[in-house]
Amino acid sequence: MTRLSDVVGASGLAGYAVVALILFVFAFLLVLYTIVAPSRRAQQQRAALLPFDDGTDPSEPRGIVR
Amino acid sequence: MEARLEAFTYDDAVVRKFLWATIIWGLVGFLVGLVIAIQLATPVANLAPWLSFGRLRPLHTNAVIFAFAGNAIFTGIYYSSQRLLKARMFSDRLSNVHFWGWQAIIVAAAITLPLGFTQAKEYAELEWPIDIAIAVVWVAFAVNFFGTIARRRERHLYVAIWFYIASIVTVAILHIFNSLAVPVSLFKSYSIYAGVQDALMQWWYGHNAVAFFLTTPFLGLMYYFMPKAAERPVFSYRLSILHFWTLVFLYIWAGPHHLHYTALPDWASTVGMLFSIMLIAPSWGGMINGLLTLRGAWHKVATEPVLKFFVLAVTAYGMSTFEGPMLSIKSVNSLAHYTDWIIAHVHTGALGWNGLLTFGMIYWLAPRLFQTELFSKKLAELHFWLATFGILLYVAAIYSAGITQGLMWRAFDETGRLQYPDFVETTMRLIPMYWVRVAGGTLYITGAFVFLYNIFRTWAARPAKYDAPVARAAPLLPYVEPPISGAPVPASAWSRLVSLTWHRAWERLPVTFTVLATVAVIVASLFEILPTFLIRSNVPTIASVKPYTPLELAGRDIYIREGCFNCHSQMIRPFRHETERYGEYSKPGESVYEHPFLWGSRRIGPDLAREGGKYPPLWHVQHMADPRALSPKSIMPGYPQLLTRSLDFDGIQARVDAMAMIGVPYADAVNRAPAMAREQAASLAAAILAAGGPPALDDKEIIALVAYLERLGIDIKVPVTAESATPAPPTRPDTAQGAPAGTLISRGGR
Repeated sequence: MTRLSDVVGASGLAGYAVVALILFVFAFLLVLYTIVAPSRRAQQQRAALLPFDDGTDPSEPRGIVR
Repeated sequence: MEARLEAFTYDDAVVRKFLWATIIWGLVGFLVGLVIAIQLATPVANLAPWLSFGRLRPLHTNAVIFAFAGNAIFTGIYYSSQRLLKARMFSDRLSNVHFWGWQAIIVAAAITLPLGFTQAKEYAELEWPIDIAIAVVWVAFAVNFFGTIARRRERHLYVAIWFYIASIVTVAILHIFNSLAVPVSLFKSYSIYAGVQDALMQWWYGHNAVAFFLTTPFLGLMYYFMPKAAERPVFSYRLSILHFWTLVFLYIWAGPHHLHYTALPDWASTVGMLFSIMLIAPSWGGMINGLLTLRGAWHKVATEPVLKFFVLAVTAYGMSTFEGPMLSIKSVNSLAHYTDWIIAHVHTGALGWNGLLTFGMIYWLAPRLFQTELFSKKLAELHFWLATFGILLYVAAIYSAGITQGLMWRAFDETGRLQYPDFVETTMRLIPMYWVRVAGGTLYITGAFVFLYNIFRTWAARPAKYDAPVARAAPLLPYVEPPISGAPVPASAWSRLVSLTWHRAWERLPVTFTVLATVAVIVASLFEILPTFLIRSNVPTIASVKPYTPLELAGRDIYIREGCFNCHSQMIRPFRHETERYGEYSKPGESVYEHPFLWGSRRIGPDLAREGGKYPPLWHVQHMADPRALSPKSIMPGYPQLLTRSLDFDGIQARVDAMAMIGVPYADAVNRAPAMAREQAASLAAAILAAGGPPALDDKEIIALVAYLERLGIDIKVPVTAESATPAPPTRPDTAQGAPAGTLISRGGR
């Protein structure tokens, strides 16, 4: 009886693992770029202060569409 | 555009409940840990079958991971998420379902594990009904959490929330796929995976349980509570995001480093090692980010016990995440694997990182939740020093024990023979270190009792009625244009559906983020797991390997019930010192019918992969009845009850049927398993009696266990014949060659 593992083993897909790995690394680099992009700096500085604002004393209105 | 402020309150009642559960279950987990530490130092501490090391060890690990650390995570998540999202939890009812459901699961674990109900997979021992309950409660938690996100009043999701999301999603994936099993009865099941594939699934789960249950959620807590305690923002928010994404991309690949030099394909093992080494970068980035959050506030560490706990916790995180990648390097792993070194590593993380972070968090939370001053800072200081010296004593002793063990196992004398051929010689060398561990653990637990007293006295000074401060925040405005002013609000479900108001709630969920994190986790998982399932050359079959006979299968289940796999591996690595000591190294094809795999991760006792034929059956009977009668220095608990407890022959059929259902070729045994088991039991019992053993063992549990032990490693020694190469009925290898029943006992000799 032919098994799925025999079919996949004989299908020569091994080379595509390298392609997938490159795509995986590329996706990570894309994420990395979005983190270090200068346009994010202001948002990140504000975000770092979020633990100190639990809503009990709002100093500025929130909910603004950015 | 400005919006009106909404007034709301936070649900701190559920946080208080989780806080108390953390403390109480923590003490239970620590105490069970102390008991099993004493049992290793002196076997007389195995007081009853249900209190033996093999049954209590999984109780300890489950109590500490899921009861102590789990409740600590929920305490911190419920407190911080509401405040970071500026929203009360989505549903108080779901919060309570989560709390009481989780506690019920812990109680179920505390009852079933000592009774011997276990799936034999580390940190996933709980049987299938409890597994289903875990999934249901986890879904309730996830719905509540994501519902809160959808109702939030803060657009940006703080990085702690990212860590929580990744943990919730990944733990669900890990739990579901590793727990897939075929039930035999209410409290017995077999993993649908076998051998190499089961091992890979288990350590994909096991390692990522450490990653996504003991690391990422605690990092989320660190990124919230450390800035709060230091009263300054995290050193680098950008680094925290980088920390998050790098962990998510790398962690999921690392599991195979638990299986170096086993029958796992070498490529998978190497991939696990490479990704583990890369993990140093984000882990240390996170540690440095945590410690530098204290910039300009180091003077507070001297006076604030909370900060002391946090600093040492983050330092322990750094130490264990340096050691983890180091242990994943194959040459280091060859020394450390199966030894107490791994136990020391785990406890640096659990006692140091998870424990101290939890204590610090609760010391910070207690005055705020109980709305009074902490009862005693001095007692908190005392707790800190007790815990610190407790950890130091513990890990120093067990690191020494582990390295001693590894070196003694591989030592050869000048004639080229094993220097310590008797396994118990190495065990004896460790006993003093085991007592030092008991002392360290006692210090740590004493500190935990001081902690309980301090928090109890703080709670006792609470106000008669808790104040519920009103928070105010503007509602989050949607990205899409709001409905035209004055338009009627849709009333029916259908009209709400077509009006797309549901879409607004949906879009406030972090869909893109969650999908990205999930894809990163799933892609990595599939790349490691699929080849071992779908490429046959990864697990070459061996024609002489047959399924266990019905009696051996019943014996294997007794081996699992008693937790023998906690102390004995069944996986001989291809090293000379291992093959000299135990026999030929283990092959992937030997485990193809092993549901679940029983390779083990630790050698408190010797490996059993080639145990069959090593000793006569009578030796096993006497050894089980009283191990010290045959090996005076042995620390193994006795199992005399197996000589008197009746074997459930009728229940064997269901076990065989379940195995057949998951692809084990059982042929005739599907119809007559009890009869086959009785035949083999009678033959084996007669051989034991003839050798001078006790009479009337043919219907006792010991006979099944001995049959199983005598089968281990036998198949690989059988020459392949045309008959044995055909699809395998459940025959003993000797009878497959035409040898008379009962001669199995003499195979191999000593």
